[in-house]
Amino acid sequence: MLATVKALFRPAAHSEEHEDPAEHLLLDARPRGEMNDMVMDSMHATSWKFWTVTMFLILTVLVCLVTAWGYMIAEGLGVAGVNQPEYWGIFLVNTVFWIGISHAGTFVSALLRVLKAEFRRPFTRAAELMTTFGLIQAGLSIFMHLGRVWLVYWMVPYPNERGLWPDFHSPLMWDFLAISTYLLASTMYLFLPLIPDLAMARDHSTGWRKIFYRILSMGFRGSESEWTHLKTAMNIFAFAILPVMFSVHTIVAWDFAMAIRPGWSSTIFGPYFVVGALHSGLAAVTMVLFIISRTMKNMKYFIRPEHFDGLGKLMLMITMTWGYFFFNDYIVEWYGGDTIARTLQKFLETGPLAWMFFLMLICNFAIPILTLWNKKLRRTPWVMFVIGLIINIGMWLERYIIIPGSLSINRMPFTWRIYFPRVEVFLTIGTFALFLLLYMLASRLIPLVPVWEVQEGQLAHSLSKFGKTRVATKAEIE
Amino acid sequence: MTDTNTLLALFKDVDPAAEAVERLRSMGVRDNQVDIISGIPLLETALGRPKKHTNVARLALGGAGAGFLLGLFLAYGTPYLFTVHVGGQPVYPIPPGIILVFEMAMLGLMGTAFLGVFLESNFPAYHPLKYIPEVSDGKIAVLFECPALEQEKFVQAMQALGAESVGTVEARQL
Repeated sequence: MLATVKALFRPAAHSEEHEDPAEHLLLDARPRGEMNDMVMDSMHATSWKFWTVTMFLILTVLVCLVTAWGYMIAEGLGVAGVNQPEYWGIFLVNTVFWIGISHAGTFVSALLRVLKAEFRRPFTRAAELMTTFGLIQAGLSIFMHLGRVWLVYWMVPYPNERGLWPDFHSPLMWDFLAISTYLLASTMYLFLPLIPDLAMARDHSTGWRKIFYRILSMGFRGSESEWTHLKTAMNIFAFAILPVMFSVHTIVAWDFAMAIRPGWSSTIFGPYFVVGALHSGLAAVTMVLFIISRTMKNMKYFIRPEHFDGLGKLMLMITMTWGYFFFNDYIVEWYGGDTIARTLQKFLETGPLAWMFFLMLICNFAIPILTLWNKKLRRTPWVMFVIGLIINIGMWLERYIIIPGSLSINRMPFTWRIYFPRVEVFLTIGTFALFLLLYMLASRLIPLVPVWEVQEGQLAHSLSKFGKTRVATKAEIE
Repeated sequence: MTDTNTLLALFKDVDPAAEAVERLRSMGVRDNQVDIISGIPLLETALGRPKKHTNVARLALGGAGAGFLLGLFLAYGTPYLFTVHVGGQPVYPIPPGIILVFEMAMLGLMGTAFLGVFLESNFPAYHPLKYIPEVSDGKIAVLFECPALEQEKFVQAMQALGAESVGTVEARQL
């Protein structure tokens, strides 16, 4: 018995938990001026590799997005693979996927700010940028889906000679309002904490950059009243944008759930979609952080294994929640015994999309749950990048299965059909290229690290003696 | 009426800046004649300064109210003008209206909070302002007004507290 107790309380187990305080960004403070220079340096440093990738992305956008979309507009939606009964194809898969990605910024920035999770500080902006650029791709995908995109203003409620009025009873109108609200709110939420960093960039720039930052920083100096107004607004945003974030993906889920269709009509679709969005969003943040830390100068100082570790824990929690919601959604249909619903489930599990269905489960659940419990793996950036990529592949497949997959089987068997995307493939590549291009260009114009927030965190944190060790303590200076 | 000059004392840390604020008060400078410019937000209590007033929250609340009313108008007012019949639903259904009202109220709340920062801070301010770029490198600037005739006394007091530089400051183009 004594031997068992000894084995359980080995001092070695304690030493495994020991971390060097200097590993933590907030305990490894550098002078503010030095951090400013590091961030400015990272924006100015561009190599031939950067411009090569940029040119490649511009070409991809021109070919896959501009040309392909122009072709579709000229020829009509017939050149796409959508047709009865799969009138919702990859365009909406991409819409849901990109809205999911956009949840990352709000979740990381607002929720972690509300909860005062300190590890968020260096990467909130990198995540917020994903929200804005992700929503742009989502909006473009909806416009592609509309076909006659030039008539999009018909959705705007204003008295008109057509005698038409938007139907506010329709989930598609709710979508329009929710996504517009979220895009505006997330852009404002990106801009507010950016103002002090733009002022910093203004003070450290010359030439056209100085003019650019002078215009955007709008004369911010950092006076007491300016900080008070800014912090108040940021607090309001942090609390207010969270319910909007939840509403957006819930409403996207209602686009499907409000239809009385097998595979879609589910009361749990709202939260299931929200969790799925957070799953893909967090995974995308880890991918972006890995790329930033490896490709941008000085970023390894700001983005450290502790940040991947923190995100990894969140991802593990979200993986379990996603698994719970998936199973909940699955078993209710399975148990319900509706003939068409069971036929659809059998089709997805054994039909031509079965590989996709099981690959989705492996990517979204099996791989994250088997890897993310391990601290060593969570603290290895390239491993987290791979896990993030796998989760995003899985989440894209999940949306594919839900949308064209579920539409393949309906209550009229004579219309059953398998969806094959055509021009949509190019347009999908185009949206991914545009997202990367926007992000790359923004990384050279916008300070990706909120330096003032990092410095604020570093001032609040210090090491204090506690018994025979020194532990990190935090002062409430906010 | 006595002529006043605006001086700017630059400090490295919060502690001497807080002491400077206290010293200025004891030398007869009123709180509204002092401003602190810093690269991070500092607690008023840490500097011994009075709490700054902001109307951003009130504006946001007003915006939320306006958004709420606009949402109500869109959901339940416009059907009088443009009646849309949806199968199985009343012309003025309550549950779908709640979604519309919620989104508009939140948009109003956040939109006015955002605009509130601009209004309250007088942004954009592209005219010359009293400022020193060292602030964005972590220094704390204490900006204060003092009688022109006693300027030297104030300069010496700030230097005694560890100010890295003290001097008159002119408005400059940022």
